Amino acid sequence: MSSEGPDLVCEVDNVQGIVDALTAVRWKRQQDAVVELSEHGVVLIVEESSCLQAKVYLQRELFIKYEYGGAQGRPRFGVSLGLLVNCLNTFSVPAGGRSSSTIEIRYPGPDMQLLLKSVDSLDACIYAEIRTRIPETISWDYNFEPAGTTPLSFTVKSAALKEAIDDLEWPGSSVQIILQPDPPSVTFKGEGHGDLQIDFMYYVNTDLLIAFSCDRQVSYRYKYKFLQATTSNIPSSVIRDNRGSKLTIGRGGMLKVQHLVSVARPSIPHPHVDSAGYQQPSRIAYIEFFVKPEEDESTIND
Amino acid sequence: MKFKAFLTENGVNLLEKRFLPALDKMGKICHLYLTRDHTMFLHNLLNGDGIQSVAQFRKEALFDDYRISSQNEDRIAFAIDISLLQRAVRSSVSICTEFGSGLTQNRLQIKLVKKLPPNCTQSMPFLTFETKGYKSAVIQDVPISKPFSRAQVIELQTALDMAQDLPQTLVQVPDLNQLQNFVDRLKHVGDLLNVSISKYGDLLVQISTTLITVGAEFQKLLVIGEQADAPAEDRNLSAQTRSARAVLRGDAQSVQVSVKHFAKSLQCHLAKPDCAFYGIAPRGACLTVIFQFFIPGSRQTDKSISLHCRLPVLDPGSS
Repeated sequence: MSSEGPDLVCEVDNVQGIVDALTAVRWKRQQDAVVELSEHGVVLIVEESSCLQAKVYLQRELFIKYEYGGAQGRPRFGVSLGLLVNCLNTFSVPAGGRSSSTIEIRYPGPDMQLLLKSVDSLDACIYAEIRTRIPETISWDYNFEPAGTTPLSFTVKSAALKEAIDDLEWPGSSVQIILQPDPPSVTFKGEGHGDLQIDFMYYVNTDLLIAFSCDRQVSYRYKYKFLQATTSNIPSSVIRDNRGSKLTIGRGGMLKVQHLVSVARPSIPHPHVDSAGYQQPSRIAYIEFFVKPEEDESTIND
Repeated sequence: MKFKAFLTENGVNLLEKRFLPALDKMGKICHLYLTRDHTMFLHNLLNGDGIQSVAQFRKEALFDDYRISSQNEDRIAFAIDISLLQRAVRSSVSICTEFGSGLTQNRLQIKLVKKLPPNCTQSMPFLTFETKGYKSAVIQDVPISKPFSRAQVIELQTALDMAQDLPQTLVQVPDLNQLQNFVDRLKHVGDLLNVSISKYGDLLVQISTTLITVGAEFQKLLVIGEQADAPAEDRNLSAQTRSARAVLRGDAQSVQVSVKHFAKSLQCHLAKPDCAFYGIAPRGACLTVIFQFFIPGSRQTDKSISLHCRLPVLDPGSS
């Protein structure tokens, strides 16, 4: 073992919440993820074919203990996302009749492994060591810049967004997203085996489209499979908590999709939570997807 | 060859609600082995590679008016599909209990028959359930294999005798449900499970692949058989190191089994045992799990019921 301390020792009391958050960006079986540690928290990044990137932000406030001993630069390592999720899942088994278990996560181990162990039970202990890799450099920097002075964005109920995107599977291939200020609305349009258009009207469906900001009409096309990846594994807790997802179109048509996943202490139930209601803000994991638009001559550009 | 008996209410409950659901998880087909005093459900005793399970009942635990005769010391054995048997017992219960009268005596008869099924030229063996309700009587025929020959019965009895060896050290599993939950999730991580059991009362289950190691250690479990005190100097070591040292010292054994087999063995909790013990057979021949049943309302072992499984060892390991 090295004489220096580990880069990170932290403790989690809601493993299921972390599993939910990580599962949200798991759009296929084999995915390599890059994990970046800092004094602010843990960020996990996955990407695909330089067109889709997802980040899970686990801020230090989600951890009941967070001891960052990392050096100047932020330590990074590569890990299989599927393995990490399956491994964390084994820890979400209630231990010894308790409703939740606390686990300690430590990096690096003597052989640069990610070390996990349950810490709240004296006579039963679950432990794991996950081999990490030297991370590949992220091939494409997803610089997200606003498209203009007025942001082009809308917030929609996560359940409705997922449903709309699921429905668009039928026409397939690519989906056009159109934002227009008059009447204020968002249109999802799929063309392929057939046409399907889904409109969210801002004033008509106030409970579906929660917020809307747009000063001119814009339209971009996105590959269906990438769009689908942004909602295919939304955790059921997001739907149950009746949360909203925020979509923003940036410069060049880059789409940002943001979800919020609760990592609340499972022993404190919130029976009357609605999307605007009370939630400890520190107990939320932020999830962001960035989707590049298809290069398409027919889009109306800014 | 004759077999005829009445299932008692207790027998029906044991089979329908507890043992048949558990045994169904062990495998679709089992051997039903009937002797003068015992009824046994045997899985994989004759074909080597699966998980072996032996469920044995004294005849009084299941039956009334038990009559058996054969030219082979009154022993009868045949193969039967557990799910068909389960279905027959279940519907018999619903007939007996129609109008909510509950099961009364001698209404559920079970016997071995030979019948000519429709569109067949040869008669076939069946285990027949005759159920008398208030207004109806129902006969259900569960198809079975041709009853075993004398040589086959001897072979089965030999296999059964061989499956009785006891591990020198057995540790009690504290919480079967918890262990099952854990192992069910482990199934997503890998296929091979290392199981270590020590005389100190430690049970270690661990999956190791090139990319990941996940395990659980349970300490200070109740030990039956050979036991020893855990050396104090090991106390602050990791579970893996402690286990490896115990194996070297000869105080622990370690074997590798299929995680699927292990998960199956845990399914036996459907039979609602009162406790479960894991142990490794001498020379690491197999991993054995023994379930214990108490006489209802007591802490005394019910000797009329027994259930144990033997999990084939995939690698002789360090034993």
